[in-house]
Amino acid sequence: MADAWIYSREPTRGSQMAASVAELGFTPRLIEANGSLRPDDADGAARRPPDLAVVIGDEEICGRLRDDAVFADVPILLSVRPEDLDGEVPMSEELLVPPFTPAELEVRIGRARRQLGGAEEAQTVRVGSLVVDLATYQVTVGGEPIDFAFKEYELLRFLVTHPGRVFSREALLNRVWGYDYYGGARTVDVHVRRLRAKLGAEHANRIRTVRGVGYRFDR
Amino acid sequence: MRADAEYVMRVVEERGVRFVRLWFVDVVGSLKSLAVPASELEPALLEGVGLDGSAIEARARGSERDVYAWPDPSSFQVLPWAEGPRVARMCCDLRMPDGSPFAGDSRQALCRVLDQAAELGLTLQVGCELEFFLFDESQDPGRPPVPLDNGGYFDLTVQDVVSDFGRRAIEHLEAVGIPVTASHHEVAPSQHEIHLKHTDPLAMADAITTFRIVVKEIARDLGLFATFMPKPLNGLSGSGMHLHLSLYEGERNVFFDEDGSTPGRRGGQFLAGLLAHATEMAAVSNQWVNSYKRLAAGMEAPTHVNWSREGSGALVRVPTGRPGQADTARIELRSPDAAANPYLLFALVLAAGLRGIERGYQLAPEAAGDEGAAALPGDLGEATELFDGSELARDTLGDTLCDWYVANKRSEWDAYRATVTDFDRERYLRWL
Repeated sequence: MADAWIYSREPTRGSQMAASVAELGFTPRLIEANGSLRPDDADGAARRPPDLAVVIGDEEICGRLRDDAVFADVPILLSVRPEDLDGEVPMSEELLVPPFTPAELEVRIGRARRQLGGAEEAQTVRVGSLVVDLATYQVTVGGEPIDFAFKEYELLRFLVTHPGRVFSREALLNRVWGYDYYGGARTVDVHVRRLRAKLGAEHANRIRTVRGVGYRFDR
Repeated sequence: MRADAEYVMRVVEERGVRFVRLWFVDVVGSLKSLAVPASELEPALLEGVGLDGSAIEARARGSERDVYAWPDPSSFQVLPWAEGPRVARMCCDLRMPDGSPFAGDSRQALCRVLDQAAELGLTLQVGCELEFFLFDESQDPGRPPVPLDNGGYFDLTVQDVVSDFGRRAIEHLEAVGIPVTASHHEVAPSQHEIHLKHTDPLAMADAITTFRIVVKEIARDLGLFATFMPKPLNGLSGSGMHLHLSLYEGERNVFFDEDGSTPGRRGGQFLAGLLAHATEMAAVSNQWVNSYKRLAAGMEAPTHVNWSREGSGALVRVPTGRPGQADTARIELRSPDAAANPYLLFALVLAAGLRGIERGYQLAPEAAGDEGAAALPGDLGEATELFDGSELARDTLGDTLCDWYVANKRSEWDAYRATVTDFDRERYLRWL
């Protein structure tokens, strides 16, 4: 079952949106925009990130979802009333302007999903001579295979499918390791070094250290 | 099947890996390997592979016992140097037939201490400088080896061979996920040193085990042999395994207080723990008869239990801290030699440091000289008895590991004591 989390300060609009996404087969959960990005009663089902996030009119929540690595693979829709379209609307989010039909909602969700990079659909990421085949776990540079240990591959896969975004070490640890490994957040630094060493001079610099913040993959 | 095991299965298929070597170590840290053909990999991942556990006891083998090697899929790595069929390796934990940990497994002994540290909110990072010698394989094995680079007869080619060795070593180590910071020629002729970048202790112990085999393989390809023997030549430096230790509590480096002082209050307690238990740990940091010839000779190897900010002769060096550079604060333990069992060594180093913190040990004043400081054991016999009586070692490693280790070391020491050496003959044969 696909989960949709709906962020709204206005209960009525939130309920309407919940009904709309439920029609498309999502299980909606309303989240009061009280500062938390997760449901209050984070039970087993809710600990996993949702399959869709719909934010009603709150750009700040959009920004926070974008900065939280847990939501890195979650398509985000920003619902904005026609009267609020004032030119300040963020360009990075897929917009939904009510009223809308279920068909339009479905198209908007599909577009939001593709904005995540489209890599999941393509199955292969190409960056210059670097090719990461997400279906077979094979990585080549200039056609030469490179052998990675599992977590090295997982970190590379995450970075190349989320180019241009900065992730803190804690966020990467959370996303790639999913638990607190012996090495703590420094494990991420260690794996980044291993990736750079294995990728070689041409691609090592694509994994940028953003001082005091974390890492970013540049295409 | 877990995601990492599925990854292993898929990569083996995609890359045409024919065999996977399952690696584990015996009590003295010697690498043992079982080769599993790709067709048998899935059951190996799901059920482990049976072996005779008495092999883990090294030279003090007892009766046969059933043990299972359980591959750790996260350690899977295709090996870059094997010629012929493509081969990969996985490090293993050893378990009893009922799945419980095997008491003689060094790797799990380290994991237990890492868990204890994690419960206290502490993580250790280890960087390592490993030294070794390269000699010509074709030399007469009955004679002392001649250093490659002052032998004269070899002058024209030696630089090429040595630089080829260094280049290949770095390439191969990085290909198996062991980043290195530097490779350079050491103090003694024919001696080399490679710095392994810091990582968590388990990964570093796996890396050191891998490193030793990688270096030996590359040397063999070039018609050389590599040795991690602690002291192969008279009058020249021995081969150490200097450990650079950083301890973190969350993001905070424990060896660095906010005012810039090192090793810091709790870091000082950790260091005091290391010093307090250094003599009991010597049988692990310096586990061979030959190890004590490296320590006895000085030449920058420590002989006493002391710490210092300056100089290079102390057991522990504490580099001076700089305000705002918390990340570089560390302590350097200088006694271990290149032929130690890294799993047991890291387990004891961490356990000794944690004991210092938990019991609030007071750090003795800095002292570069040996005056007033306790001496490290003078030979393997003395070190083994100190280890045998060590409460820290028994608490940390368990009685099985300790007893097997002691049996190995006593047998080695007894064999040595009963051997007439070149020293005896040169000194006494004609004189007495």
